[in-house]
Amino acid sequence: MPGILGEMFVQMTVPIALQIILLGFIGGILSGFIGSGGAFFMTPGMMNLGIMGPVAVASNITHKFGKAMVGSKKHGEMGNVDKKLAFFMLFTAFVGIRIAVEVMKALFNVQGSHGEGGGAAADLYISIIFAVILLFVAISMLADLIKSKSSEETGPSTRIVEFISKLKLHPLIYFPVADVYVSLWVILICGLATGYLAGTIGVGGFIGVPAMIYVFGVPAAVAAGSELYLAMWMGAWGALNYAFEGMVDIRCTLLLYGGSLLGIYIGAYGTKVVKESVIRLTTGLIILLCVLSRIVAIPAYLQMLGYTDMDASYNEYFNLASKSLLFVSGISGALIIMFFVQKAYFQRQKLEASLSLAETPSST
Amino acid sequence: MQIICISRGSHGYGSELAEKLSKIVGFSTISREQITDKATEYGIPVGKLEMQIVGRRPLSEEMSILADMYKAFSTAYTCERALKENIIYHGRTGHLTLPGLTNVLRIRAIAEQEYRIKLVMERLNITREKAKDFIFHIDEDIRKWANALYNSDLNDPSKYDLILNAANLSTENAARALASFVQLPEFQETAATNQALKDLLLSANCRLAIGSDDRSRGVKVGIQADKGNVSVTYMPRQFEEAKAIPDVLKSIEGIKTLVCTVATTNVLYMAEKFDPADERFLSLTEIAKKWNAAVEIVRIADENEEPPVSLLGAQLSTATSTNGETGGILDDSDSEGSGNEQGFGVTETVDQLIQIGLAGGSRTIYGGPDALLRSLSKTEQYSLVAVGDVFSMKGAAAQRMKREMLSKLKDKFRVPVIGTEDLKARYLFGPKQLFSMIGFAVLFALIYLAVFSFQEPILTFVSKGHFEGTLFEKTIAALGVLVSIPIVAFSIGGFYGNFLKMLKVE
Repeated sequence: MPGILGEMFVQMTVPIALQIILLGFIGGILSGFIGSGGAFFMTPGMMNLGIMGPVAVASNITHKFGKAMVGSKKHGEMGNVDKKLAFFMLFTAFVGIRIAVEVMKALFNVQGSHGEGGGAAADLYISIIFAVILLFVAISMLADLIKSKSSEETGPSTRIVEFISKLKLHPLIYFPVADVYVSLWVILICGLATGYLAGTIGVGGFIGVPAMIYVFGVPAAVAAGSELYLAMWMGAWGALNYAFEGMVDIRCTLLLYGGSLLGIYIGAYGTKVVKESVIRLTTGLIILLCVLSRIVAIPAYLQMLGYTDMDASYNEYFNLASKSLLFVSGISGALIIMFFVQKAYFQRQKLEASLSLAETPSST
Repeated sequence: MQIICISRGSHGYGSELAEKLSKIVGFSTISREQITDKATEYGIPVGKLEMQIVGRRPLSEEMSILADMYKAFSTAYTCERALKENIIYHGRTGHLTLPGLTNVLRIRAIAEQEYRIKLVMERLNITREKAKDFIFHIDEDIRKWANALYNSDLNDPSKYDLILNAANLSTENAARALASFVQLPEFQETAATNQALKDLLLSANCRLAIGSDDRSRGVKVGIQADKGNVSVTYMPRQFEEAKAIPDVLKSIEGIKTLVCTVATTNVLYMAEKFDPADERFLSLTEIAKKWNAAVEIVRIADENEEPPVSLLGAQLSTATSTNGETGGILDDSDSEGSGNEQGFGVTETVDQLIQIGLAGGSRTIYGGPDALLRSLSKTEQYSLVAVGDVFSMKGAAAQRMKREMLSKLKDKFRVPVIGTEDLKARYLFGPKQLFSMIGFAVLFALIYLAVFSFQEPILTFVSKGHFEGTLFEKTIAALGVLVSIPIVAFSIGGFYGNFLKMLKVE
């Protein structure tokens, strides 16, 4: 199709628009429930709809900017934001994002040997990074869950924090809200990694939050709040950079908001009514399925780039399988959460209900 | 009975001071180590909890319940002993285990760093550097412990009645001074402090019973006891396990009434007077219903209001003058203790809350707003603090003073703090929200309409960067995206926020 539509940005049909809204809605539910961005679901979902990887990442990071702005305000009211920590990480996070944008720009222009692979190199790169990082996150999460059931220790290990504190890498900076001393060099490295991943796959939070907890020793609530604050600035910077390169599909961002800002309320409510172990198990399984979905899509990108001799007609099936897996994981995750939410809602209705007033025999 | 709490660091002179003081005044001593051993015998894995906190691992739900159990055990043990005899507690956080009890003499005993280093070198036979390092880490661990369990800074001087420094005062003389100090009227037992002690013991015993019974072990509860009236709140997701609570608590002595309320969170409602028919109260209950929140009532007695005789000292955290020589009145009458609440609407309001399943307990704090700030525990988790009419005697200055109070409360709790007059506008759906929702919806629709009607020109504009646009064009396109996104997010977010308020599914 001539012109910008179809060439770089997807031709927006009603079914595609509705699917993006659905992606946003499910991503919003998962985001509110897990406490991290829903980009791990939305980015591959958009790629499955035929949106080029870099455009999907760019539109998502732009979407993240506005969403994190709203979310971090609420966390700030609860005193969970260490702005000083976020600003220190921000310096190198900006550099990380810029590196990600440059890599993406370069890969975006790589053509496959079959000639039709515009953007396939970038898609392949995003998929591989996505699969490796999120596979690690999902496995760690599930392993933590199993370990906490079988061992005496609960919560994340502090071995890394202890190891780094022994190295005494000066200068050490004190962060009053998180109440920790952290080496400047460690902060800068983690900021760079967070920014790079936020810019590459739109899920910097999956690195930023664990880094704050496991490497800096920050309490979990402050880590989540501070990361959201950091995400707001990274989102703004990412949006600015990608928009400067002309990769943001503003329509996708708008459609994502249409679903996500509603879903996020439901997900956040879910955390109040679902047991912690169920939250962790559900989250781990959803992420694992998302990873699988991305792995299934890789052969198609390899074919487009001419790295395999696979018949091009199979690409459609790989894409369909990838899309189905993603939607199955997202929809079932969202349904589980909504099931608990409605159960709690009706439970409350039943009892104006749970009120039990008892006069005990020992009262006299 | 009388209670002295000495907060001490490691290898300071707190223990020595406690022993010397005990010999002079004849009070029994209780050490933190003693309580820890007893708690471990009781089945609370204190060591595991300490490792978790010191290791800075976030507390899982299970560990957070263990922390509650340990706090309840410390309180119960101290209260039980204090009801039988005069006691001196010495440990890290003794001054925090009996919140709201005003006749407790709270001491912080500190020693010079040099003194401590020498002591550690002698006791552990290690070098000076190692001793310094050892003290630093132990202090760090203690700080983390106090912070995790009580959200409190041990070095905050406002938490103590006296701070003693070993460098300037010998242990012997410090003990003698304390022996005189504890004779002051403010630190004497009254019928009211005795009642408060019993209530603390009752709530701690209830917590221990719930945490020790297999049927309710995993339920995270909030407990308040007020003159034998016990209020238990728990999360909706633990509805099934929590059903056993009334049965579990049957064997606990001293419970007059028991109210169990399912609550996702707590709302604190404070005022000088309450009226269950007041529109602002109705707004608050509507919000609490939406949030599944329990409402805790705190009546702020005017600073000029004398506490009723039987309540002198109870829940009193300011030095409201008591009857000097007697150190408070030893009047056991009115053990029901509700007389002071009559005429202020507390009883009626609590009854109303019980009827609609939102009761989260009630209490009265004497001494005015300053006492209020000191009495409220930072460890309580509230989602909202609502303040009704206060400073009613201050005339024109009342509004300004209320604003200042809201600001101080916000600093203390770090949650939204709001005057009850603003509740409706901020949290409920009314005409203002309807107009706002329509406004956002129109903006939302216009943005969508504009973007999807002019997709090609808009995308051509924003993709200048990819298609060799000039630097100026690229910059304008990028800034256009950056500026428009917050507007879009806030308009869509604003629409959904109001829409959910309208459906009451917020």
